[in-house]
Amino acid sequence: MEHEHNTGRRIGGTFLSVENISLAFGGVKALTDISFDVREHEIRAIIGPNGAGKSSMLNCINGVYRPQQGTIRFDGQAFQQMDPHKAASMGIARTFQNIALFKGMSVLDNMMTGRSLKMHTNLFLQALYVGPNRREELEHRQKVEHIIDFLQIESVRKTPVGRLPYGVQKRVELGRALAAEPRLLLLDEPMAGMNIEEKQDMCRFILDVNDEFGTTIVLIEHDMGVVMDVSDRVVVLDYGKKIGDGTPAEVRANQAVIDAYLGVAH
Amino acid sequence: MQFFFEVLIGGLLAGVMYSLVALGFVLIYKASGVFNFAQGAMVFLAALTFVGLQEKFGLPLWGAFPLTLGVMVLLGIGIERVVLRPLVNQPQITLFMATIGLAFFLEGVAQLVWGTEVRRLDLGLQDEPIESVMERFNLLISKFDLVAALVAGLLVAVLAVFFNKTRIGRALRAVADDHQAALAVGIPLKQIWAIVWSVAGFVALVAGLLWGARNGVQFALTFVALKALPVLILGGFESVLGAIVGGLIIGASEKLAEVYLPSLMSDFLLKHYDISINLAGIEGWFAYMLALVFLLVRPEGLFGERHIDRV
Amino acid sequence: MSTQTGPAVAGPEETFPRLLLAHAQSRGDRTAIREKDLGIWLSWTWKQVADEVRAIACGLSALGFRRGQTVAIIGDNRPRLYWTMMAVQALGGIAVPLYQDAIASEMLFVLENAEIEIAVVEDQEQVDKMLEILPKYPRLRHIIYDDPRGMRNYPDQVLLAFEALQTSGREYDKSHPTHFQTEVDKGRGDDIAVMLYTSGTTGNPKGVCQTHSALIAVSRGDIAFDGFSADDEILSYLPMAWVGDHLFSYAQALVAGFCVNCPESSETVMTDLREIGPTYYFAPPRVFENLLTQVMIRMEDAAPFKRRLFHHFMGVARRCGAALLDGRGASVSAGDRFNYWLGNLLVYGPLRNVLGMSRIRVAYTGGAAIGPDLFDFYRSIGINLKQLYGQTETAVYVCKQPSGEVKLDTVGKPLPGVQIRIADNGEVQVRTPGMLKEYYKRPDATAESISPDGWFLTGDAGYFDEDGHLKIIDRAKDVGRLDSGTLFAPQYIENKLKFFPHIKEAVAFGHGRDRCCVFINIDLGSVGNWAERRGIAYSGYTDLAQKDEVYALVKECVESVNADLAKDPQLGGSQIHRFLVLHKELDADDGELTRTRKVRRGFIAERYQQLVDALYGGATHCEIEAQVKFEDGRTGMIRADVKIREARTFPAETAQRKAA
Repeated sequence: MEHEHNTGRRIGGTFLSVENISLAFGGVKALTDISFDVREHEIRAIIGPNGAGKSSMLNCINGVYRPQQGTIRFDGQAFQQMDPHKAASMGIARTFQNIALFKGMSVLDNMMTGRSLKMHTNLFLQALYVGPNRREELEHRQKVEHIIDFLQIESVRKTPVGRLPYGVQKRVELGRALAAEPRLLLLDEPMAGMNIEEKQDMCRFILDVNDEFGTTIVLIEHDMGVVMDVSDRVVVLDYGKKIGDGTPAEVRANQAVIDAYLGVAH
Repeated sequence: MQFFFEVLIGGLLAGVMYSLVALGFVLIYKASGVFNFAQGAMVFLAALTFVGLQEKFGLPLWGAFPLTLGVMVLLGIGIERVVLRPLVNQPQITLFMATIGLAFFLEGVAQLVWGTEVRRLDLGLQDEPIESVMERFNLLISKFDLVAALVAGLLVAVLAVFFNKTRIGRALRAVADDHQAALAVGIPLKQIWAIVWSVAGFVALVAGLLWGARNGVQFALTFVALKALPVLILGGFESVLGAIVGGLIIGASEKLAEVYLPSLMSDFLLKHYDISINLAGIEGWFAYMLALVFLLVRPEGLFGERHIDRV
Repeated sequence: MSTQTGPAVAGPEETFPRLLLAHAQSRGDRTAIREKDLGIWLSWTWKQVADEVRAIACGLSALGFRRGQTVAIIGDNRPRLYWTMMAVQALGGIAVPLYQDAIASEMLFVLENAEIEIAVVEDQEQVDKMLEILPKYPRLRHIIYDDPRGMRNYPDQVLLAFEALQTSGREYDKSHPTHFQTEVDKGRGDDIAVMLYTSGTTGNPKGVCQTHSALIAVSRGDIAFDGFSADDEILSYLPMAWVGDHLFSYAQALVAGFCVNCPESSETVMTDLREIGPTYYFAPPRVFENLLTQVMIRMEDAAPFKRRLFHHFMGVARRCGAALLDGRGASVSAGDRFNYWLGNLLVYGPLRNVLGMSRIRVAYTGGAAIGPDLFDFYRSIGINLKQLYGQTETAVYVCKQPSGEVKLDTVGKPLPGVQIRIADNGEVQVRTPGMLKEYYKRPDATAESISPDGWFLTGDAGYFDEDGHLKIIDRAKDVGRLDSGTLFAPQYIENKLKFFPHIKEAVAFGHGRDRCCVFINIDLGSVGNWAERRGIAYSGYTDLAQKDEVYALVKECVESVNADLAKDPQLGGSQIHRFLVLHKELDADDGELTRTRKVRRGFIAERYQQLVDALYGGATHCEIEAQVKFEDGRTGMIRADVKIREARTFPAETAQRKAA
């Protein structure tokens, strides 16, 4: 990164805090007493070896999993449990580890679905595609076009997503999440399975999103190097427990992290 | 030759009637990936309700239609509430089983409320040849069949626009593609399902009226759904256009087979093998045989999505 | 505007800014330029363009830009960049478009050479390159960018947003209301309008200085030759630094007044072509080839019925398409004519539509030889594709094929106002209205290229055929001889090889040796597809290139070229004896190709000395290691064991048919 990405970007107060979260499936403990916070406008990474509970953590934040204990505080409101719809309507958007796009639909349509919650005209009026509904549709389309331009996917606008290469699909999924104009963006391994070039592109997009829209980002990543480059602070999980938290430099120097993660060849 | 065309056109128009029923299946399959076994029961229920309302309250056509439509919409919403919502995230086979249960329930309720006797349904359309066509081309084309075909064509056009151009359509396709992802982007899954089932109810109503007017409203209407099966296999479960084309092919080939095949076959067998058999009733099984052949050649159907696995 | 077209001459007062203002005045409400942005085609009328240009020009003046200075223009084809060209010229300055995909160090040379102080660039990608250059070239005072994305936190001392430039320009205009018109009025036809850097196969690029008069004169000649008018539409997608685009999207557009359309991005060109449906099209053979490859790959994947239909009607088209296009319909049987009509309905029409060529009246190709299959394909489906010949130094105004007189292996007849002579060594020398004024700051090179009696020495070897068409065979300096004294034209052989869709590049060796041998680059798309269909697994280019099956495929191509060469009375002795498939793709970033993608034979021979030795030493394989430069600027090593194979040769027809 030639240009320090966080110059001029002001990081605000605590935006999301996760307090004493424990989650178990049957007898298996996935997360044990996890607490950390995310500040407004920051890029926060959750890292850890495979099976450390990273995805479970993300799924608790957006309500796919319901933790047995603990509280999630988002934008001043406390929740024992979230549910996906409520999370979405509060401005939490996410991507999935194994791309969950609508494969048979075009890139444009996929991204338009991202705006579902921003659409206000009556569901039944929509069927008629007239009046205020038509105007609203055009406004949404314009917003989506900006994101298409931002992510440089103009050339595949009308292509069914299923026909696109993996790296581009990842980008479209990011686009669909951005279409919701989220305040908090959860990225589940945004760079998994990509080659070096695609990873660099994705890094640039993540930084640009954070920079241009001021979006707070929580991302899970397996690849340490990438995380250290893009994130402001890092949480390290291992076997469902938090073993480190701090700036990339601090985390790198943390002995527990080195033992648990950096020591593991991968 | 003229007789051939008469048979062909008659078959095509009858095929449209199959398409109508198949459409209901396609809608629900597209939106929820479930083969709705209860579609036939819905056709029956719609037709019976319509006739029942007419008889009991002396309602005219234009009065009974919106009322019945209201019943079908309520039914759609009810099905989502009572049957689908508790079954979210269950395997598809579970949902399929639920629709079988639903089918028996609907048949039972319909007969409980409106009785079991066969009723006549009069839409004011006569099943008689159109005179102008007869004079000019010397062809016998049924007025009823033609109107039914026009209605079906209109319905398909409306559905195509609905699916591809509107926001609900887009949401429907999204839900059909991936439930989880649809939830995560904030698409209201419950509303969407209620809408799909209501639309399927509307299609069932149109199909029920046309079939009922032709064959009388009776329990046998539920079997019409079985005829939709080969149509779906030919056209593909996911394609509205496929349902139409599949219906036309089944309708036309069935009629042609019925008229020409028995004599051709028995002549052939008699001449070469000295076997004499009676092939009457071929229209009863010909469609299924065609579907079977199709399954072997092109299992995804004419318009279904071809799933290519690249290595 | 009938006064605009005519013979290839230009008045002494004619400049591009004056042409712009004339259009704005006489037909100000017609669309001058379009651009697709955010999924929508935006358009500007001539009047609006004139206003924009005025604001840019005044903005540049506010920055202290003066007559005779240069401005670098770098980016994809954007309206604002074309307008900047006009604005620079309005102030009597010289526009210097650069290839947008050049790396920073290559750009540095041009900036220094052209003494550029202001660069107008498209986006962050180009700004990054300029900022990289800045410490080494502090003379660069201003970097003006069109698209601000990603640059919010960039240092702003040298950076200036395009909007800010225009805003300050409008203010400057208010306080100096006569400035713009005065500057335009000062312009003379023999002012240098643009400097186009030619990459050249050796040495540093040279700035070719072209005047307003020359460019206007040749545009007028071109327009008259093919009957272009203000009603034509083109899509501008070729690099702005290439003389082809400069004439096509700038000079001819301003002279004829036709509408220029800028694609959304370089990846969307196919879609944009289809949406615009241009009437006039110009592309190097490579672009036509890529289009055809895409069509063919799609056809291979199509259903069997469709594929059969396609092949059947393409057969019909090959038989009679070109004849019908050239108006020689009388020689075509009624059956074929019906077949072609049917084919047009079912195949050619839809195909032209997919290619975005439904409305094409005239299409040109030039800059390199075009393959017979490729050329025939487009002509047979009813696209009037023709060849032309020229170079940056002649403003591409030397030869063109007249409609109805199209031949595969010639570049056409001399254009009106052009004289051609063939020197004793076979070199083509020309006198044209499009002659360069000079190479910038290179009197030596200028003297080398223009003879004392005023002829431009093209450096190409060629001759006129019996119909008066010019035929180019190779670079004059590259035409060599084998040990035996047989003529050896490497490019001629390479081109014949490259005409096979499976072969992307070829490099022929033979001068001063006993026989001809070649390096081959396979086409990854085409051969990859071929391999997939045969179930041959491969992990990438290097792996695929060394498969025995691929060698067999290439061998067939080589031998068919040999069979062809054997028929040529002069080149029959230079058939290919041995070949190898290179382990990596030749790349401009590695210096193996020029920016216009011509092979740099000498450089390659030096770099792969080991392989050349193995070819001539009789080895059957050779291990090699090579450094490659990735797109992100890092370098890495590729190691491979390259196989070498023999090819069959044919007895040459030495009979002197020509003498008869």
